[in-house]
Amino acid sequence: MSGNWNYIIRRLLYLIPVLLGVCFLVFVLFNLTAGDPVLMLLGKHGSPEQAAALREQLGLNQSLFMQYVDIVKSAFTFDFGRSWSTKQEISAMMVQGAIPSLTLSLPAFAIATFTSIIFAVVVAFYRGKGIDLFIRITCIAMMSISSLVYILVFQYLLAYKWGLFEISGYEFGFPNFLYYVSLPVLIWVILSLGPDIRFYRTLILDEIYQDYVRTAKAKGLSEKAILFKHVLRNAMIPIVTYTVVQLPFLLLGALLLESFFSIPGLGGMTITALNSSDFPVLKAITILSAIAYIVFTLVQDIVYTVVDPRVKLQ
Amino acid sequence: MYKLSVSILLAFSVMFTSCTKKKNYEEKVLEINVSAKVKGLDPVNAGDTYSSGEIARVYEGLLQYHYLTRPFKLEPNLAESMPTVSDDGLTYTFKVKKGVLFHDNKCFPNGKGRELKAKDFVYAISRMADLKNNSTGWWLLDGKIQGLNEWRETYSGKTANYDDKIEGLQALDDYTLQFKLTKKYPQFLYSLAMTYTYAVAREAVESYGEEFLNNPVGTGAFMTGTYSQANVINYVKNPTYRDVRYPTEGSASDKANGLLANAGQKLPLVDKIKVNIVTEASTRFLKFKNGEVDYSEIPKDDFNQVVTPDQALTDTFEKMGIALEITPDLDITYIAFNHDDPLFKKNDKLKQAMSLAYDHEKANELFYNGRGMLAQTIVPPGIGGYDPDYKNPYAKYDIAAAKKMLAEAGYPEGKGLPEIQYETTSTTVARQMSEFFAKSMKDIGIKIKVNTNTWPQLTQKTKKRQAQMFGMAWLGDYPDAENFLQLLYGPNSAPGPNGGNYNNAKFNAEFETVKNMQPGPERAKLYGKLAQEVAEATPLLLGVHRTSFVLKHSWLKNYKFSTFSHGNSKYYDIDLSKKKKVLESGILTKTPEEKTASN
Repeated sequence: MSGNWNYIIRRLLYLIPVLLGVCFLVFVLFNLTAGDPVLMLLGKHGSPEQAAALREQLGLNQSLFMQYVDIVKSAFTFDFGRSWSTKQEISAMMVQGAIPSLTLSLPAFAIATFTSIIFAVVVAFYRGKGIDLFIRITCIAMMSISSLVYILVFQYLLAYKWGLFEISGYEFGFPNFLYYVSLPVLIWVILSLGPDIRFYRTLILDEIYQDYVRTAKAKGLSEKAILFKHVLRNAMIPIVTYTVVQLPFLLLGALLLESFFSIPGLGGMTITALNSSDFPVLKAITILSAIAYIVFTLVQDIVYTVVDPRVKLQ
Repeated sequence: MYKLSVSILLAFSVMFTSCTKKKNYEEKVLEINVSAKVKGLDPVNAGDTYSSGEIARVYEGLLQYHYLTRPFKLEPNLAESMPTVSDDGLTYTFKVKKGVLFHDNKCFPNGKGRELKAKDFVYAISRMADLKNNSTGWWLLDGKIQGLNEWRETYSGKTANYDDKIEGLQALDDYTLQFKLTKKYPQFLYSLAMTYTYAVAREAVESYGEEFLNNPVGTGAFMTGTYSQANVINYVKNPTYRDVRYPTEGSASDKANGLLANAGQKLPLVDKIKVNIVTEASTRFLKFKNGEVDYSEIPKDDFNQVVTPDQALTDTFEKMGIALEITPDLDITYIAFNHDDPLFKKNDKLKQAMSLAYDHEKANELFYNGRGMLAQTIVPPGIGGYDPDYKNPYAKYDIAAAKKMLAEAGYPEGKGLPEIQYETTSTTVARQMSEFFAKSMKDIGIKIKVNTNTWPQLTQKTKKRQAQMFGMAWLGDYPDAENFLQLLYGPNSAPGPNGGNYNNAKFNAEFETVKNMQPGPERAKLYGKLAQEVAEATPLLLGVHRTSFVLKHSWLKNYKFSTFSHGNSKYYDIDLSKKKKVLESGILTKTPEEKTASN
């Protein structure tokens, strides 16, 4: 157990160099590619005098090293200050944006993953038969259609024409948010089914052709018992890898869905920040995403030990 | 396994069935779409149209535009009457209305809003001047009020003292406000109708500190709770709103359009406002068609399905009971030449050739659905200085003349002319527009290289005078030709609004004289003359004056489009019984054939 704790602490300590690196990259990329934020913020009537004053206020007249130190400081204290563009407190913006993003992405991701695994098991069970072929062809057909088509057609038919869903919007609190996320969740699930079913099917089929399956069959175990008790369990490691690695990105929601359904999530916030050279917001989102990624890869390792007792954290 | 799959599918179907909320027909709720995020509700930062529109629901200024009269006319709002102006035109004295209350809010003793005083305007305008607040509206008053710039400089980098006396900005008593200008500036009154100068209570700013922008406390017809950056803003009627009445004066067409039906009634007419922030044009339009919002613009891609070539509604929309309102907007689109570049600085003929080679009509068809009015000068219709009979000889498509002019400019068939860099943004329409421009220039032998940028990159290039050519649009800040002609005024060069860095000494001198004249026919005539003279030198490749096409549901009453629409929601009304009838009839979502089939 102490070995596990050592591993976890060691991995968490990796956060320090990773964050320093992320801060450096964010700083360099922003300074190289983004336009001058002062010119953006002052608008169409800005004067050189105002530009100089604002540059000083934002700390942009400090040396580059001191500006980098400021970023590092905010990464380790989680004090990201206020948005340059909206003047809103960034921590409040992040919380306010993360809730809608997660209420959309978490259920969508969970439903899509669960459904895809079920379908993958079904097609793997009936591999080579009509149902397998039908589902595979359907998956390819679904993947061939642009996500924009799903959004526009579903919004028009299901929400506008048939009145089954709200066209767009968002309300905080349960169950109000459900009215608004149902349709985007449905679209997310449909968009995910094609690639996910094909991916999980491949994973399961890889296992089905292993020697231990043949042994189990030789021992007289039924197909169902082999599939659920052995194959699925062994396929869990790549499934866990695939799913857990996606979790940090759920925080950012889904840009297109958020945009078309007016969900005030972090995806839209990132784009707005990019378009207005709002460095503090971009910095906060990048740093928090990096932290989430590291934490979830750690979670992934821990889950490995649960699904496969042979795995040890060292 | 089949059973399991079917059960899952059924569960999904049940879960997703009828996930809609019930409609509210009990209260008059004005429902509106806006297309961009609102940054906050602090008047000093009302830099964008969207934030400004929301601020004006809660806050008010000394003056406002008359709701119905056109051309636009200023009238008192929180001022008792229009100001008295001294003979030298430098001192403006206002009487502030008595009995106006700020919204009830916890920043006041016992949570009861106190009475508005003249000092609240002194405070609000000083906040604009305070460098710490970085007000994007400072240009309005920069160098114009005696002592204000000095006060601003005194507290540069320090905490400002709002109790200091500023010579040109004083509350003479609780209800008398006096401005002393440094020089004549007739446009000054327009700045008092802009959201930047709206009255702010010092207690609210001091109580909420940095969160003041999310906790608006004004005197307006509506109030809202803490603003939360969500995509919906809800307002309720201000219960302590003073007695303000719907205008009784309007034109014959206003009367014919029912815009005087509520004349003399107490405002506001609706109980609540719900503002939906929807960035996608297709979603906004779907919400309108579904009856979720009361009026809407028409997205470019849907235009031909909604409007016929003779600018009437198509049958489908006519049958829905929807009305169309077409109004010229106070704006201009153009392509700027950077006059820092020697290529454009002295060579008017080159710019004239490029303007003649540009198919203005076709561009209008392709990018504005033909709804723009081809610009002949920089001054749009609806304000003094616009001459409907004037035709700019270079703002038309004439390839032969363009080729001739190019030869006269020293570049026959484009020979010897270096490749010109055109900067644009990466949006689809912007790229299409640049490709169209490049193709038009190629027709006379001019090579254009299109460079795509993010919006911040393009802003940086134009503000730092690095863009050789770029497309731009300008929406008027106030209804005065000065606001458009200043785009060509030398001292306003980048980073100011004159992004093309045009600097013509004669134009500058004449502009300075005309803009300081008192409004009237003489000034309008001189504005027109100036605009035409400069237009023929082609400092800009003129585009169009856009026209607003607004669709209105039959239950929305009193809506009249205005470029300066901030604060107008207090005039709108909702006919609840009509709304209920229309929505329950299903005519908005089903065609008559579909209805018959479903019955």
